[in-house]
Amino acid sequence: MLTLLPQAIIDGLLLGGIYLTVSIGFSLAYGVLHIIDFAVGEWIMLGAFLGLYLTAWTGWDAMLFLPAVFVVFAVVGWFTQPLIQRVTSGAKGRPVLMALVFTFGLALTFRGAAQTVFGIFTHSLPTELAAGSWYWELGPFMMTVPLVRLAGLVYALAITVGLTYLLKRTDLGLAIRAVAQHKDAAGLMGVNIQRTNAVVYSLYVGISAMTGVFIGAIISLNSGMGPDLSLFAFFVVVLAGMGYLPGVPWASFLLGLIQSFFLIFFNPSWTLLAVFTVLFLILLVSPTGLFRKGV
Amino acid sequence: MSTLLKVEGIDVFYGPAQALWGVSFEVAKGQLVSLVGTNGAGKTTTLRAICGLIEAKAGRIAWDGREISGLPVHEIMDLGVSLVPEGRQLFPKMTVEENLTIGSYLRRTKANRNRNLDWVYELFPRLSERRRQLAETMSGGEQQMLAIGRALMQEPKFLILDEPSLGLSPVLVQDIFRIIKDFHDRGLTTLLVEQNVSQTLQLVDYAYVIENGRIIMEGKGRDLADNPKVKEAYLGF
Repeated sequence: MLTLLPQAIIDGLLLGGIYLTVSIGFSLAYGVLHIIDFAVGEWIMLGAFLGLYLTAWTGWDAMLFLPAVFVVFAVVGWFTQPLIQRVTSGAKGRPVLMALVFTFGLALTFRGAAQTVFGIFTHSLPTELAAGSWYWELGPFMMTVPLVRLAGLVYALAITVGLTYLLKRTDLGLAIRAVAQHKDAAGLMGVNIQRTNAVVYSLYVGISAMTGVFIGAIISLNSGMGPDLSLFAFFVVVLAGMGYLPGVPWASFLLGLIQSFFLIFFNPSWTLLAVFTVLFLILLVSPTGLFRKGV
Repeated sequence: MSTLLKVEGIDVFYGPAQALWGVSFEVAKGQLVSLVGTNGAGKTTTLRAICGLIEAKAGRIAWDGREISGLPVHEIMDLGVSLVPEGRQLFPKMTVEENLTIGSYLRRTKANRNRNLDWVYELFPRLSERRRQLAETMSGGEQQMLAIGRALMQEPKFLILDEPSLGLSPVLVQDIFRIIKDFHDRGLTTLLVEQNVSQTLQLVDYAYVIENGRIIMEGKGRDLADNPKVKEAYLGF
């Protein structure tokens, strides 16, 4: 059994990378816009299908379409955010609830439309990377790293580093953090709040859609994949602390590791039970997440 | 002297409750003007209306002869208005330096960022010592200095201070008032909102007294300080 330990760790990290990409944009959007977007999994699903149609149409490798998928969905996000803004800034108040209802409706609409247009079959995105994998034997230990999963982890880390750089080192990032911390004061500094919100939402939707391409290549895609992904995004973001971005990578990798350990050492069918028990226990002890930095 | 800011008969509501009733006043270029009044009189609401943080249902606000009511906050700030808000309203999870840096977010000040940073640090050496510290971990006096420094980074043509002396020790209050006077002497147009009426009236060129959302009196600072009604209501004589 012990010989599987390195593999369990590797699998956990690779899986954690997927969770990281699913939840980092979502966490940013929550931290700045204070909306819980139920549609996060649906954006991922739509991105995956755009990737699927582009590859089917051109015959090229799915990875080549990452930038295109990002741009298309960033534009979609840019035009969706003002709608959310309208719904949440009504005179009657309750913005959090209104955003929940609105994005829930958005999610249902997207899923319903996708099931009608794309059908209910499961597909997989073709990429050269899917064929390759690295394999080592070190004494009694055997380790396999599928290249496409490794690419997913690299993508996750690149997005994390990129977002951190944006937030910490650029004026746009300073403005985004200002809006997250004190909206009125950000306006007083000359920050265009409406535009900053749209930029954040558009980044989030673009990143989520790109993530869809990876998930489609690593696992599979179908029009009903959204809700599970949303669930994992919630899981990670709650564990990290609502809106606390630096906690997201830790929470993602923790989730990945718990899952891979359970899968390898215990009963695979208990995996989700284990994952949610851990979430429950951690929140019982620290309701504001792993680092006590959430809202 | 030409008028820089002219507020004419503004009404402001919070939901169904009216907070301001036909408030009018003006500030000329280079003047130090004060709006004094008790807690809840409508001082902060007036400032929020000027900055575009809340909409006036009636009346108009003009900047240098041009109507600015209805403009978004960031555009009003770009005209050269800077507000040091009540309760500082710093960015708590940012460092001192980041709080100052975002003061020069506007394009017209970005090019002078480093020069202005040096200047603010020279003005408030305490901030320079603490540039890597998070704003939320600083004392009230230091936070007030940071809030003023942040506004100065915006290269204001018109500086508005909302109760800068609130919660500060008497020594620090003296410091803050000295800084305000200093900038006034250098020609900066300033609107000072205070509950500290006696000291404010000694300092300013002209003052308006606001009560229950209405301007009830106005006059030169020293004249108002000698006014028996003001003495009775605000100075405790």
